[in-house]
Amino acid sequence: MSGITGKILRVDLAALTACTVPTPVEAMQKFAGGRGLGAHFLWKEVDPGSDPLGPQNRLIFMTGPLTGTLMPGSNKVNVTFKSPLTGTYSYSLCGGHWGPELKFAGYDGLIIEGQSSEPVYIWIDDDAVEIRPADFLWGKSIPETEGLIKEDVGGDGQVHAAVIGPAGENLNRMACITADWYREFGRGGCGAVMGSKKLKGIALRGTGSIKVHDPEALMAHAEKLYGFLKEHPKLRDRRNFGTAELVEGINGNGLLGTRNFTGNCFQDAWRLAGPKMREDIVVGDASCYGCPVACGKRSLVRSEKYGEVLVEGPEFETIALLGANCGVSDWDALLKATWICDSTGMDTMNAGGCVALAMECYEKGIITKDDTGGIDLRFGNGEALVAVLRMMATREGIGNILADGIRPAAEHFGVPELGIHSKGQGFAAYDPRGAKGMALTYATSPKGAHHMVATTFGGEIAAGNRLSIEGKGELQRTHQFSMAIVDSLLLCSTMRPGIGLKDMALGYTLVTGRTMTDGELQRIAERVVNLERMYNVRMGYSRAQDTLPERILREGTPGGPSQGSTVDLDSMLDQFYRVMGWDENGIPTREKLDELGLLEE
Amino acid sequence: MTGKVLVFEPERCVGCRICEQWCSITHYGEISPSLSCITITRDHALQRDNGIICRQCPDAPCIESCKFDALTRDQSTGAILVDADKCVGCRMCIRACPHGAPKMHPTEKRVIICDLCGGSPACVAHCPEQAIQYLEIHKTERPYRSAVHNSQKGGAGRED
Repeated sequence: MSGITGKILRVDLAALTACTVPTPVEAMQKFAGGRGLGAHFLWKEVDPGSDPLGPQNRLIFMTGPLTGTLMPGSNKVNVTFKSPLTGTYSYSLCGGHWGPELKFAGYDGLIIEGQSSEPVYIWIDDDAVEIRPADFLWGKSIPETEGLIKEDVGGDGQVHAAVIGPAGENLNRMACITADWYREFGRGGCGAVMGSKKLKGIALRGTGSIKVHDPEALMAHAEKLYGFLKEHPKLRDRRNFGTAELVEGINGNGLLGTRNFTGNCFQDAWRLAGPKMREDIVVGDASCYGCPVACGKRSLVRSEKYGEVLVEGPEFETIALLGANCGVSDWDALLKATWICDSTGMDTMNAGGCVALAMECYEKGIITKDDTGGIDLRFGNGEALVAVLRMMATREGIGNILADGIRPAAEHFGVPELGIHSKGQGFAAYDPRGAKGMALTYATSPKGAHHMVATTFGGEIAAGNRLSIEGKGELQRTHQFSMAIVDSLLLCSTMRPGIGLKDMALGYTLVTGRTMTDGELQRIAERVVNLERMYNVRMGYSRAQDTLPERILREGTPGGPSQGSTVDLDSMLDQFYRVMGWDENGIPTREKLDELGLLEE
Repeated sequence: MTGKVLVFEPERCVGCRICEQWCSITHYGEISPSLSCITITRDHALQRDNGIICRQCPDAPCIESCKFDALTRDQSTGAILVDADKCVGCRMCIRACPHGAPKMHPTEKRVIICDLCGGSPACVAHCPEQAIQYLEIHKTERPYRSAVHNSQKGGAGRED
C-alpha cells in the first residue's frame, strides 16, 4: 500500500524504551487511519476500566493514508485516549505541520504507553529516537518549552514540537497538547494524560518522503480540487474571516450559547463578527500544511490593560465560549484570555464553559468573593475572565475547582444542573435549542458535547428546519459518518464543502493504489462510529448517558430567534438509534456488529 | 537566456508549503520537504512565514565556490544546474550561498539546487497566494516597491 510509511513507533515511558512495529495494513484498510485506526488500537490496548490518568492509558497518535500528501488539507493527525475529562472514549485532531512531519520522520503513528517517574521529552530525528530528561522544561509555558526543546536538539528551525504547558502538568482536565505553538489537540484533556505520563513534549524532524501510487494523476486531481476550494463561497469567507465567519449566522439564528446558555442570542455579537474582527485585529493569514484555504488568522491588540497580545486565531469556538458565553465582547480581554489558554495549554472551549458556570453561580450568589479570591466574577467582566483562567492553569484558589472540568465544578458548587455539558464535556458554541440536530450530536457523541462529531447546524439552517425534530436522526447519521470519514482519512473538515466523497475516494485510490469508493468510505465510517460506541458500552454506557442538561431539555430562552424552544431528546434518540441499527437502549445489535466485521475486533 | 528569476514576497506567504510539495513531486514523484528546493520557514513568536529560495544570482557564488565543476548555469533559463556525477557533496556551495538555498540531498552525496523546472517553475504555478513569482530581472523590484507602498499607506495615521 503506497502513501503510508508502514511503521508505527511505540514508546514505553515506564521502561524508557522505543521500538517500531509494522503498521497493521489490514486494520488500516478496515478503519482507513487516523481516528478509525485510533479506535482499533484503544479498543485492543486500553481496558475501558482504566484510570485515564493512570499508567494503563495510552496516547495513540495516528496519521492517515492521505496525511502529508498532495490532497488539499491533508495535514491532520489524530490522538485517541481515554479522557480524564469525560471518563469515556475520546479522540482529538490537530492541524498544522506536526502530523505530516511525523510521517516524514517515517511513522504512520506513535503510541505512548506507561508513565515515567521523572519529566521527559521524546526527540524523534528520523530513525533516531531518544527519551530525554525534561526537568529543565517542567513548569514552562508552551512557547518557552518549544524554544528550549529546539535549542536542546540543536536549534533547528525545521523541528516541529507538540508539547504541554503548566495546565497539562497540573492535570487540569481540559489541558490540550499543543503543536507548533498554536495548533491544539484541544478537547478531552489529552494534555492531562500526557502530564500524568510526565511527558512534556514530542519533538520531530523528518527528512523522509511520502511515496504515492500515481503521482501524475494525483497532481491533476489536486489541481482540480484547488479550483473547487477556491471557488466555494463558504471557503472564501473562511479565508477572509477565519472560523469567525460563523458568528453572525450562528447568533442571528439563535444558536450562540450566551451567558452559560441562559440565552442563545448575544446582543454584543456584532462586535465579534468576522468582518469586524478582520477590520479590528487581524494582521495576517496562516495556513496549515498543504492547504490552499488558509483559514488561520493572526490577530494583534495593543491594549492598555494587557500590553501587546499576538495570537493565532481567535477561532469561532473561542470567541463564542470565552466571549459570548462569558458575556465578554472586547477584543483586548478575549485575546488575552486566548493567549493564557494557548500559552498554558488549556482548551479554550471547556475553559470558557467553566468560567461561564462560575459567573452564573457568582451572579446567583451561590459563590461569593470569598470563593473567588475577591474577583468580581460577573458576566461580561473581561479582567475577571483573564484572572480566573490564570488560576485554572495553575490550580490556584477557585481555579483548582474549575480545573477539573464543568461537571465536577458544578457538583462542587452544589448546582449540577447549571453545568452545561454532556458526559462531562462542555458544550461547543451551538445551543441545540436553536438547531435540534446538535442535541443528538452532543448527546450521542462518544466524547461528550463536541460539535465536530456531527456539524448538523449548517444544513439545518440552510434547510430552514432547525427547530424541527423531523428527520434529525437520519441527518445525524449522515453527519457522523461524514466526520468519521475525514477524521480517519485525515483531511481537514474545512475541505468538505469543496471536496466531495467521490473525490476523497479518488484521492485515496491515487495515493494508496488500493481502489476506494464512496460507498466503502461510508462503510468504514459506520465501522468507526460503532466501535467507538462499543468502547463506551463496554464501560456500562447506554441511553441513560446520552443526555443533556435540564436547561436545554426544559427551559426555553426568553428572547431571540429560538425563543421558547426546548429539546425533545427522547424522540430524537429513538430516531437515531433506529437508523443506526442500535437497540432502544442505544446499544449496537450483534447483527449490526457482525455485518460491519466488528465481532472479531 | 530568458533573464527571469524567482521573487519571493514574505508578506504574501501564509506558510501552506504547497510550493514544497509541488517542487518535490514534480522532480522526484514523491512528497518530501527535504527534496524540495524551496523551503518555507515559520517564526512562531513573530508569526511570520518566509521562503528560502535560489535567487539565480547573476554572479553566482555557488558556481564560483565549486571545486569540481559540478555547477553550471543553464543557458536557456539561467538556473543553476547540478551535475550529479561530478558533485561530491562537499557542501562548499551551501556555505557560499548567502541565501541558504542549496541543500544536501537527504540520501545521496550531492546537493540539490533549484533548476527553475526548465523555465516554468512548479512552485510559482501552484502558490495559491502568488507569493512566488517568476519575473524578468529588471521587474523584480516591483513587488517590493508595492509592498513598501502598501505598508506606508496602511501605516498612515498609525502610531509607531
